[in-house]
Amino acid sequence: MVDLAALNLVDAAEAVRTGQATSLELLKACLANLDKANPTLNATIWLDREGAEQAARAADADVKAGKPLGKLHGVPMAHKDMYYQAGKVITCGSAIRKDFVPANTATVVARMAAEGAYVFGGLNMAEFAQNPTGHNVPFGDCHNPWNPPYITGGSSSGSGAAVSARMTYTALGSDTGGSIRLPAAACGVTGIKPTQTRVSRHGAMPLSFSCDNVGPLARTARDCARIMSVIAGHDPKDPTSARLDVPDYEAGLDGDLRGLRVGITDTFFFDNADTPVVAAVEEAARVLAGRGAIVSRIKLPLMDAISTNVSVISRCEAAAIHAQWMRDRPQDYGPALSGRMYPGFAIPASYYIEALSRRGSILKQFAKEVFSQVDVLLNPTIRTCLPTLAETDVERAPPGAQHKAMAVSLNCRPYNYLGLPAISVNCGFDPNGCPIGLQLAARPFAEARILQAADAYQRDTDFHIRRPPVLG
Amino acid sequence: MSDFLKATEAQIATWHAITPPNEPARRMAEDLAAVIAAFEKQRGQLQFEEEPSSFEAALMETREGA
Repeated sequence: MVDLAALNLVDAAEAVRTGQATSLELLKACLANLDKANPTLNATIWLDREGAEQAARAADADVKAGKPLGKLHGVPMAHKDMYYQAGKVITCGSAIRKDFVPANTATVVARMAAEGAYVFGGLNMAEFAQNPTGHNVPFGDCHNPWNPPYITGGSSSGSGAAVSARMTYTALGSDTGGSIRLPAAACGVTGIKPTQTRVSRHGAMPLSFSCDNVGPLARTARDCARIMSVIAGHDPKDPTSARLDVPDYEAGLDGDLRGLRVGITDTFFFDNADTPVVAAVEEAARVLAGRGAIVSRIKLPLMDAISTNVSVISRCEAAAIHAQWMRDRPQDYGPALSGRMYPGFAIPASYYIEALSRRGSILKQFAKEVFSQVDVLLNPTIRTCLPTLAETDVERAPPGAQHKAMAVSLNCRPYNYLGLPAISVNCGFDPNGCPIGLQLAARPFAEARILQAADAYQRDTDFHIRRPPVLG
Repeated sequence: MSDFLKATEAQIATWHAITPPNEPARRMAEDLAAVIAAFEKQRGQLQFEEEPSSFEAALMETREGA
């Protein structure tokens, strides 16, 4: 008997379209895994089983009636609990917003619904999307499906854990400093941070207007390509979204990497990296070379300036967004979060403006020097083996835990500053049985290239289809 | 409490009417010294910005096929 929850998103949609499975069967398969694994993982904040069953039945009726079907018809999904749905409580992983009912629906959710998808739950996340580990005081920490004492990565912790444990075929995450790629890496799934401005942010809780991105986590690069084809593109409700045509991302997934120039980043990304991580990433480069990619090593310019500047932008913007609550009700934040936001109020405006105003010129210089040599950059998503939740608990662990926690996102943040698209795929496991992430990045709006490379990699490896131990 | 932390707390209180909510806040405020040091290292490399710049325009300018 086929385990319907083990299908990837594209195959699940195809199964519904061709009548091989009903949407209700897909939903029940996902919920069966949820019932099994969630007591260990704590990946959800809310569930709407009844509403989802109604949506599934309606989707199945449309199939029977021979109606036109969208690209995601009948696919159940759950998202990081920060995507607004009009009339539903959306907590943003916080106590402060535990009763928040938005009046509007996020454009990305609406676009997926227009293609036939429906939402059955809101997923755990770092409080207000503000840590890279997955700790959450109001709703409890999310646990790694491969080894529960270890971090899931954050801030889209529930998205990573739920996709990994086959509770959902995909989940939206958000990425300001790695929050899609980190849980994708730590939970062994695929997650893409699009180019800044590629996907509408209307109806997504803001953390940092300059660096926030919306994107999917899913089992495969092809799944991410499908979702990107649905959610990317200009949105009049988000005037910052780019006015560029959206390519058919799936069309380019041909496994042919002949001539693709891949650069292993010799600068910054491997500093103090753990040996198992380096070995897995080097092996991944060999796999890509086997598909025809031309692999070389490249030194990256401006990494000191990039690292310095990125360290202030999201802190200043988060401080500004949260200033009133920090003044009026600081006790309603988890201590690690209010502690983390507090220093943002001391950073001078001139530092913030310097970091922002140099962003364009740094991107141009970086692109000129780097992308004249290579098409795709390759490095680990997280440069160390995963730490445990206990080791990175800023409240309870000894002083210094915050440095260990923040080190998790070191390899992701530069691409947020540069606005580049980047994807993380599973490329192996560390000695604790936790996944290792391979990060691929490219020029602005070159999502198709990294999806193609990631898909080619997944054609020759099986890390992305392995079943996490939490499912038994 | 270090002089740096005292000054930082006073600055935040003066400009924002916000006090340190807990001990992690104080620890992380101490870490701002590293941010200052990183910006200090960048000094001398900056050029006077003659023209208005736009990050969004740079994204479009550096995109594939532009």
